[in-house]
Amino acid sequence: MSKKNRSRKEDLSWAVRKDGRALWSINANPRSSVYGESLRRFSGVEYRRWDPSRSKLGAAIIRTKRNPALLLPLAGETILYLGAGHGTSISHLHDHLCGHDNHQGGRLVCVDLAPRCLRDLTHLADSRPGLIPVLGDARKFSAWGVLMPRKVKWLFQDVSQAGQVEIFIKAANRFLADDGIGLLSLKAASERWTGDDEAQVFANVEIALEQAGLTVEESIDLAGFEDNHMLFAVRKPSNN
Amino acid sequence: MWLWYDWRAAAVADGNGNIVDEEIWDGNYHQHAIIERLQIIAKGGMIKEAKVLAERFPEATVLLHGEEQLPDADWPFPDDEAQASADTAAIAMSKLGVAMAAGDPDKRLEYLVRASDEMRTAHLTMEARLVEWVVLFLPDARFGADRSALGNTVADSDDLEMLAKKLAVESPPVGPSKSEWKALREFGEGVSTFRGRLDRLENAVRTLATEHLPSNSMLIGPLLAARLCVEAHGRMRFARLPSGTVQVLGAEKAFFNHLKTGAPPPKHGHIFMHPWVSRSPKWIRGKISRTLASKISIAAKIDAFEGTPWTEADVELVEIRIEEIRNNFPTPQSRLQR
Repeated sequence: MSKKNRSRKEDLSWAVRKDGRALWSINANPRSSVYGESLRRFSGVEYRRWDPSRSKLGAAIIRTKRNPALLLPLAGETILYLGAGHGTSISHLHDHLCGHDNHQGGRLVCVDLAPRCLRDLTHLADSRPGLIPVLGDARKFSAWGVLMPRKVKWLFQDVSQAGQVEIFIKAANRFLADDGIGLLSLKAASERWTGDDEAQVFANVEIALEQAGLTVEESIDLAGFEDNHMLFAVRKPSNN
Repeated sequence: MWLWYDWRAAAVADGNGNIVDEEIWDGNYHQHAIIERLQIIAKGGMIKEAKVLAERFPEATVLLHGEEQLPDADWPFPDDEAQASADTAAIAMSKLGVAMAAGDPDKRLEYLVRASDEMRTAHLTMEARLVEWVVLFLPDARFGADRSALGNTVADSDDLEMLAKKLAVESPPVGPSKSEWKALREFGEGVSTFRGRLDRLENAVRTLATEHLPSNSMLIGPLLAARLCVEAHGRMRFARLPSGTVQVLGAEKAFFNHLKTGAPPPKHGHIFMHPWVSRSPKWIRGKISRTLASKISIAAKIDAFEGTPWTEADVELVEIRIEEIRNNFPTPQSRLQR
């Protein structure tokens, strides 16, 4: 038993498994692929391959230097995802938060501005209960904020817009509960060009986040999966 | 006193967070009713229950759920069942929003313009291939201006010999097989039908552009107006662009090269297509582009904010100005005269 190769398999949660550089999530909607990802059975259970080159959250989980499970919300919770896109990361989050028929009782409120993306998200929602797609501006909380009665413990933002940091800080103030985790996926090119190089841009973001009262727990470089992107993992400190 | 409300309930609390009064929607939580309430809120309005409480407590500050100033209180949040109903309604609203997106003329114009570009590219490629293919079998065939008729000519021929006769060349020693000829002929048919399709596409662009961008269609023609609007990513953004940007829309490669290497900047992009620019002598093109671009920007604002569209009389004034420029600079300026 001891001579067997060190298994690099680790279960990050009941539904998410990391095997070296490969990431898998239990398919909440078996026998269907959301974005062409491969399906595979491990011990009789069907998993979907979480492609880190298509999902920034997946890339961050692979690249993080801390325990990857720290980047995931707890199964069965409510989360807020701004800039939902076509649902790649969201489908894996749903696998973990909700599971088949939403037996975990999770809730994903996903906001995006583009009708083209919402088209795909609403189709996804048809077969994944617990997924709530919202066609709206991530900046205009008043339009869809009533769908979030309570604050959430997990917030993700990937909008690739100028002013994305301010949007994130405002969203964290409004929606993130104390001790909650916020993940900001930042594309360097979306920031206003001030002559700084990329490293300085990212450093400035860290400063802005800290000044807003958010603790930056890790800045994860996604190079190789998504170049010129950094994912900031922050925690909202609990007020004493 | 603070008045809180969401889609389902409203409540009033004092500064300490003690609930003083509340009104909760006690009707049937039908999907269409929930959607209506969500829409009211999205537009910044108040639900019925909030209005009732506002009348009862006129001094209370009315704030939508989530506003920072609201004190912490035991606001009447929806229970799980109500939340589930709201979630279903939210999904239905999103689907509605997706369906309505088809009504957006900017999107429709974009697809028409891109489709016509792609069809034009495909048509040119196929036409070139057809010419090569025919010349392979009939090396002596020559096409001048009647290249575009070749598709029809091939389509109307029963076999290679007939085609050769039509093109006034001799029949070749080596010909295609039966199935090869069939394929070649159908290819020719394809090329000729593309012509008609392209024309119909362009007509659709013209119709939509004249309706969506009346002033600019009058000024520079619907096809060019449509192209500029699509490149600007929509009518509203088009209206907000500086005229210098409008001037070089379509010349991005040259423009960024200028920024990077210090090469001279481009004088015109898609605007070049207009005869006022392309048919003018080289040394005035820059001036005309600038003038035309600023007029286009004005017209774009009229279109976006739906003011009184330009008439032919307005366009004539612009044309007079362009003529003035032409007359003021009959010869190229010598660079030494400064």
